[in-house]
Amino acid sequence: MATISVNNIASAIYESSQGKDGAELDIVMKKAVNLISKKHLMSKSKEILNQLERIIDKKDGVVRAKISSRIKIDKKITDEIEDFIKKRYQVKHTVLEFTVDEKLLGGMRIEIGDEIIDMTTRNKIKKLQNYLITN
Amino acid sequence: MTKNYIVENLKKQITNFKDDAKAEKVGHVIEVFDGIAKISGLSDIKASEMVSFPNGEIGVTLNLEEDSIGVIILGDFSKIHEGDEVHATDQILSVPVADAQIGRVLNALGAPIDGKGAIKTDKSNPIEKVAPGVITRQSVSQAVQTGIKAIDALIPIGRGQRELIIGDRQTGKTAIAIDTILNQKGQDMICVYVSIGQKDSKLRKIQTRLEEGGAMDYTIIVSAGSSESAALAYIAPYTGVSIAEYFMDQGKDVLIIYDDLSKHAVAYREISLLLRRPPGREAFPGDVFYLHSRLLERACRRNKEYGGGSITALPIIETQSGDLSAYIPTNVISITDGQIFLETDLFYKGIRPAVNVGFSVSRVGSSAQIKAMKKVSGTLKLDLAQFRELEAFSQFGSDLDESTKNQLERGKRAVEMLKQPQYAPMATEDQVVVLYALTKGFMDDVAVDKIKLFEKGLIEYTQKNSKVFYREVMETKMWTDAGEQELVKVIGEYKNSFAK
Repeated sequence: MATISVNNIASAIYESSQGKDGAELDIVMKKAVNLISKKHLMSKSKEILNQLERIIDKKDGVVRAKISSRIKIDKKITDEIEDFIKKRYQVKHTVLEFTVDEKLLGGMRIEIGDEIIDMTTRNKIKKLQNYLITN
Repeated sequence: MTKNYIVENLKKQITNFKDDAKAEKVGHVIEVFDGIAKISGLSDIKASEMVSFPNGEIGVTLNLEEDSIGVIILGDFSKIHEGDEVHATDQILSVPVADAQIGRVLNALGAPIDGKGAIKTDKSNPIEKVAPGVITRQSVSQAVQTGIKAIDALIPIGRGQRELIIGDRQTGKTAIAIDTILNQKGQDMICVYVSIGQKDSKLRKIQTRLEEGGAMDYTIIVSAGSSESAALAYIAPYTGVSIAEYFMDQGKDVLIIYDDLSKHAVAYREISLLLRRPPGREAFPGDVFYLHSRLLERACRRNKEYGGGSITALPIIETQSGDLSAYIPTNVISITDGQIFLETDLFYKGIRPAVNVGFSVSRVGSSAQIKAMKKVSGTLKLDLAQFRELEAFSQFGSDLDESTKNQLERGKRAVEMLKQPQYAPMATEDQVVVLYALTKGFMDDVAVDKIKLFEKGLIEYTQKNSKVFYREVMETKMWTDAGEQELVKVIGEYKNSFAK
């Protein structure tokens, strides 16, 4: 028998909860939790919720991004980043999370799903090191 | 080289360095255990693509699942942690190849491990490659001289052939392989010895023996020892054949030995089970046949239009209690162009190499033999088969007719003559002389226990006194009537002196 993946469960929850609210939605959620418990997948509940979030974002045309930088970024740059992401991924809505990390030394790093654009000084130094070693 | 020069050079390199920011796909390690990593993300990774871990280790993608990727780690997995960022490299696993690898001992990734320094090269070959097509190949017609009489006479191997060496533990499989390598001196052959899951002490002994025999001048050793991970044992044979293909692409002939593929199959089974692939017969994964067939198909002889060259493969398989019908042995027997079967019983009877001539076969056969060898070995296999059948009746010696007794006596002398010490490969011309003397009956009146002494003396004597015969066989691969007459005369003279 094929194993049920996290993606299967998240998709099933999404599909079953479409067009439902209130008491009906409660029933769907209860049944979903029972299924997860029955299949001994409670330990994967965090991954299921993350996957569900991804499915909902995809359907609603939302892109979530994590931006890390050494210092706090001002509004002008955050607006430019938002426009860049909307243009690249052809979406109307973005949810941006900004963090400050001094270990980056400089520049910034944008993470969107499994894609990253790393423009940090730390990354550049690492690439330079590899370049000098191989050349 | 002054300090200023180094600084100026560095400045120039840094100026030439260009770094464009670009989007890269990354994954994160969700699980790591026993040389395997489960990674989330990397949504557009390809099968068998290389990935790199933060500590510099590399891995190969083997499982593409819905939620995660299964990667085998080609290095120390203890330095990899959950949450580590993993980058795709957009490359299939490749190994560096260079002429400078000759004489070196390399690991499964092609890096030298013999302490003689790095090998500088900018060339590399992918370890997975589609085997040459039918049109690019040529029939096998050139011999690989192993220097072992039993093989060169009865189970001849040709350049481009795959001949399996199969037998129980401690029956002399590796000994045959090493003797073959030692005999390639001056034969215009490059040798690659792939050691899979062997003890380091055994490999060191082999390396020492090859160095003493001058064989490291044309040999490369690729090693994935028993203390290394199953992932490295899995890729080692493919690394070996990729290096062999580099030399074949130059039009050269290469001999590659896989010692041994039983351990290779076990390593692949370990990886597959850890990756949760469904186990089949004997818990091996369903594609264990393909594991070896795609490896051995890369051995071939290429025709001149496509660059020439050849790769001759001698895979080794270890059986348990002589069971040829087990899963992996039957798989590899069906892939190769013949097998050399070694038996424990023969070994302990003192028949070494312990080749069971009855069960051994070369599907290329006499196409791979020089004319002279074909002539002298023609009836030898049949004689030996008849001898084995009659052996059971030898206890009734007094009740047998004359021709049966003669056949038995000839058979005993043939078995004695085919014995050969380790690390003493014999030149083809010497083999032809000895087999000629046997098949023409010159040894019929020599006592069985004196055959080896007779043989040794005969070779020394004919090398000095039968120069015409030797020259003819070396140059034209066949003797003339004049050469034969000279040889017969010389053998007669030697016999007289031996009898005294």
